Parts: sequence; C-alpha cells; structure tokens
Amino acid sequence: MPDLISLDKIKRHYDVGGEIVRALDGVDLTIKQNEYISIMGPSGSGKSTLMNMIGCLDSPSEGIYEFEGELVHEMDDNQLASIRNRKIGFVFQTFNLLPKATALRNVEVPLIYANMSRRDRIQKAEKALIAVGLKERMHHKPNELSGGQRQRVAIARALVNDPSIILADEPTGNLDSKSGVEIMKILDTLHDSGNTIILVTHEEYIANHADRSIHLFDGKIKEDRKTNKVKSVDQ
Amino acid sequence: MIGLFWENFRISLGSIFANKTRSILTALGIVIGVLSVTLMGTLISGLDKTFEKSMAGFRSDVLLLSRMEWFSGDTDWWEMRNRPRMKEDYGQKLLARSQFVEAVAPVSERGGSIIRDDRRIDSRFFGTTTSYLATNSSTEIEQGRFFTDGENRSGARVLVIGGDVADALFPNEDPLDKYVKIGNYKFRVIGILKKMGKFMGMFSMDNQATMPMGTYKRLYARRGWMTLRVKVNTTDVETAKGDVRGIIRNIRRLKPTEKDNFGINQSSTLEAQYKAIKLAIGGTGIFITALSLIVGGIGIMNIMFVSVKERTREIGVRKALGATKNMILGQFLMEAIMICLIAGLFGMGIAYGLSIIINNFFPSSMPMGLAVGAIILSVIIGVISGLVPSYRAARLDPIDALRYE
Repeated sequence: MPDLISLDKIKRHYDVGGEIVRALDGVDLTIKQNEYISIMGPSGSGKSTLMNMIGCLDSPSEGIYEFEGELVHEMDDNQLASIRNRKIGFVFQTFNLLPKATALRNVEVPLIYANMSRRDRIQKAEKALIAVGLKERMHHKPNELSGGQRQRVAIARALVNDPSIILADEPTGNLDSKSGVEIMKILDTLHDSGNTIILVTHEEYIANHADRSIHLFDGKIKEDRKTNKVKSVDQ
Repeated sequence: MIGLFWENFRISLGSIFANKTRSILTALGIVIGVLSVTLMGTLISGLDKTFEKSMAGFRSDVLLLSRMEWFSGDTDWWEMRNRPRMKEDYGQKLLARSQFVEAVAPVSERGGSIIRDDRRIDSRFFGTTTSYLATNSSTEIEQGRFFTDGENRSGARVLVIGGDVADALFPNEDPLDKYVKIGNYKFRVIGILKKMGKFMGMFSMDNQATMPMGTYKRLYARRGWMTLRVKVNTTDVETAKGDVRGIIRNIRRLKPTEKDNFGINQSSTLEAQYKAIKLAIGGTGIFITALSLIVGGIGIMNIMFVSVKERTREIGVRKALGATKNMILGQFLMEAIMICLIAGLFGMGIAYGLSIIINNFFPSSMPMGLAVGAIILSVIIGVISGLVPSYRAARLDPIDALRYE
C-alpha cells in the first residue's frame, strides 16, 4: 500500500521569549492507508505539535512532509486550508461545535468551505449523522445534546467530506466512560470500513484500540510498536 | 462562491440577532449618522426647490437696474450712497434707443400695514406701471384685473393684492371692490394675484400689494428708491446688458474713465450668490453630519473587535475545517456590512418619515439619489470599519485560536 503520510526529519522550534523550544526535534514517521495509530506521551512531549503538523495546521521549521505525494511543507495558507478541508477530519477533545448551529448545520460547515451546493450538502451531512447514530437529533443544537452526542456530531463533521485521515485529539477526554466507549466503538467501526485514524491520548486502554502505538518523548519518537489490540465489545 | 456568500449572510444575520441589544446600540450610531446626512440633504434640496420657485419671478431675461449692485464686492458704500437715483423716464429712453429692450417697468416699494376693519397684515407694497406684467411673466391675476394706464396717470387709489394678503384680510368674503387702508389712505381692491410660494419668507409676491406708480408717487415719494425692470428680447442677455449699460452711461453723461454709478442686476447674480451660500451651508452641514457617521463607524469597528475576540475559538475551528483567510475575512466583513446596511435602511426610513413632516412647514422632498447614496455610504462605512477587525480574524493562527479560552 502507498504511503499516505511521510514525515522526514521533521523539526518544529518555537521561540518563546528568546528561548528555543524544540517541540519536535527530528521526527521520522510513515503512515499507510487504513492504519489505526495512537500517539502517546507525557505533556510537553510534542503530541499536540505532531498532531497539528499532520493536520496541516502547522508547518515544520525543518524537514519534509508529504501528504499523498504532495509536499505540505511548501504549501501556502490557502493550499493548507484546502488540504484540511478535503483530506483531514478533526475530532477535538472539547468537541468545538458551533454553539448556535444545529447538529446538521455543524456537519455542513466543511462542505460549505468545499463550495458544495446546498442540496448535496444537506444530503451528505444527513448521511454522516445517520452513520454516527444521530438520525433523531439532527436539528438539535449542541446545548440540547449530551457530551457523547456532541462528540458524535463532531465525528460526523470530521468524516462528512470523506477525508483521507481522521485526527482525534483526546476524543474521550471530556466524556464519561460509557460515552467514551461509544465513541471508541464508532472510531473502530470507521477504521473497519477503511478509514485511516490517528488518536492522541494518554490513556493506555484507549491507545490499545489502535493497531500501532507511537510514544513521544522530548520531541522525538521513543517507541513505535504494535499494540495488544482490543476490540470494543458491546456492553 | 455564491453558496459561501449566502452562508456568510446567514452567519452574519444570526450573529446580529443573537446579540440584539449590542447590535441595536452599535447600529444606533449609524442610524443617527445616516439620518442626519439624509435630513441635511433633504433640507438643502428643499432650499433649492423654494429658491427655484421664487426665482421664477426673477426671470433670467429681466435686468434690474438700480442705484446699487446687489452684490457689490469691494465698491465703497459711500460712493454708492451718493449715486444719482434711477429715473422713470430712463424707461422710455431705453425703449427708444435699444433694440434689445422689450419692456421697462419702474418699481418703487416700501413696507407698511394693510388694514381692513380690525384685521391687519404687515406687508410690502409697491408702485409700478402697467408694463409690470410684461416684465414679470410669473405674476398672474387670479381674480379681477391689473390697473390701467388711466388709473396710473390719474393716481387712482386702487390696489392689486397678493394671495396671502387676500387670505389675511378677507377670510370669508370676496375682496374685489372692497376697501382697505394703508396708513390714512383708502384703496379699492381691484385684483388678486395667484399665489407663488415663497423663499424662506423673502421675495414673496403673495404678501405684497401693487398700486399704480402715479398713486405711489403722489402718496409716498416723488424721489424714492426705484428699480427699473428691463425685459430684454434676446437670450443673449450679456449683449443686451452691455447695450443697456451703454445707454444709461450715455444718459448720465459718464466719461469713459468714470465707473458706472448704477447697478445692473440679474437673477443669475442672485443665483450665483445663492449657490455660494448653499455650498457653504451644505458643505459644512454635510461635513458635520458625516462626522457623526464616522463616530458610528468607530462604534462598528469596536464591536467587531469584540466579536472577533469572542469568536476566536470559532475562527480556529472554521480554519481547521478548511476555511481560508479570505473566507474568514468575508464572514466578518459581511457582519459589519450587514449591521451598517440595516442601520442605514433604518436611518433612511426615519429620515423619510421626518421629511414628510418637514414638508408641511418647508417644502422639501428626500431625493432618491441621496437615499441610494446614503445606503451605499453605510455599506462603505461597514467595509471600512469592518476591514481591520476582519483582517485580524483572518490572520489568526488556527492553533492559537483553537487553544483560546
């Protein structure tokens, strides 16, 4: 299978008050299609920076980043926005839904930026919401939904544009354990149906849903191994 | 891009209505600004209208010969004081000598009260000849007749009154052949003039009364102030004016080195003067009212900064979902424009209502061009005041924005 993502000696340095912080200090990583990867590490190890890097929210200070053969580190802001829009689906710890919009309209947002017609948009958004089991609650606003339901809306929004990769940053971090299990089940299902998923987490049992686990420490990859895969079980 | 445009339209309306109090307070500045600019324009247009209306009496083909120029510039006032008076017989001389002069009417006037029993009106009355009608085509007799040459020669005490005078003195009866008093003299009303409207109370024929020159001279002054209304028969008024000037200089035996000791006035001089005044009033007025629009714009800018700050996280999310800089810029710009547009429409609506009320006191109308201009202006203000905050929103780093608490 061809490489979906290839990071070659990626470095990301920040200048914080005259002091150089090496958030990423030479990361080599290849991710193939339909992989299920977890990224772990203590806080300050560079997890978020790596996540932002892969998600094209951030550009490397040094190194080569290829996404489906395209050189991301050479792209300008508009090209990065386009990649984020078409190729990447984000799931955040704090859901980050638009509070005043219904679930349906929240899911529509990426399609608006993809300049899709209103009819197609609604059709696709409804399909995505049905896929995450929210058929009955499409027209509810975030404050009328439970935490687990909100995160499912966020997942629907992440996959509505058929992205190449879904990036989930602590997707269960703000949820009770029951909702967390539900969310992981949905992610597992998405992986089974062919999606590539990257999870950032510091919970071992969440990380074990993935096939491959990457441990970061001080901006470098300390460990890259197969996990003892667990499958989510119906309770 | 149309889809995105509508989306931004919906987002902006949503945001405006979500913060109603804030939006109303912010929009108020623009409402007041547009209101005052539009009203100012309405008043100026009203000024124009009444001016034009009253200028109908000052036809451009009528020269007004008098001792002084209306707008004398730096001519010494004492020099003008000592000039010889206009004489009635200049009229005959002008008619005889100039090929351009069609009719001449001498006009002398003074103020006073016209009394009918216990009713009185402060008015101006003037003496003239029967040629007056030929020099003033906008004066029309509504009822009765103008005086005759015979009445002029004999000094008959007859009066042609303006419409306002008739209304004031004869509210419930026909004024014709009734008697009124000016001072101690009794006059018979023989005609009523059609109303012409007035120019801010000035130059109105409606409030005046006309008597034969012979009568005027006999009763008031043989050697009073006099203006000669000279109607010329050509559109080339300048040439006619030169001709008339030469003739008067000749009558007065002025040497070529001497300056004119009389003035030839024209409605266009009045018009030029009016335009200068209008420009001064209008320019200052529009400038001051435009300042209030700028203040309104600053209010919009301020609230847009707040809006951007509040929605920093939303901007981060939108960027993560694929919004480009321009899309974010468009979203916030649209919001600023919408506030201004709605406020502008409101301000214009109020101005329209007020202009109808004002029209009752002072004939005016809100010009459509100005109305459209006011709306365009509010959109421009929206763009200008929204640009900086929107640009700041567009430039936000998505990572920082997403992390913003």
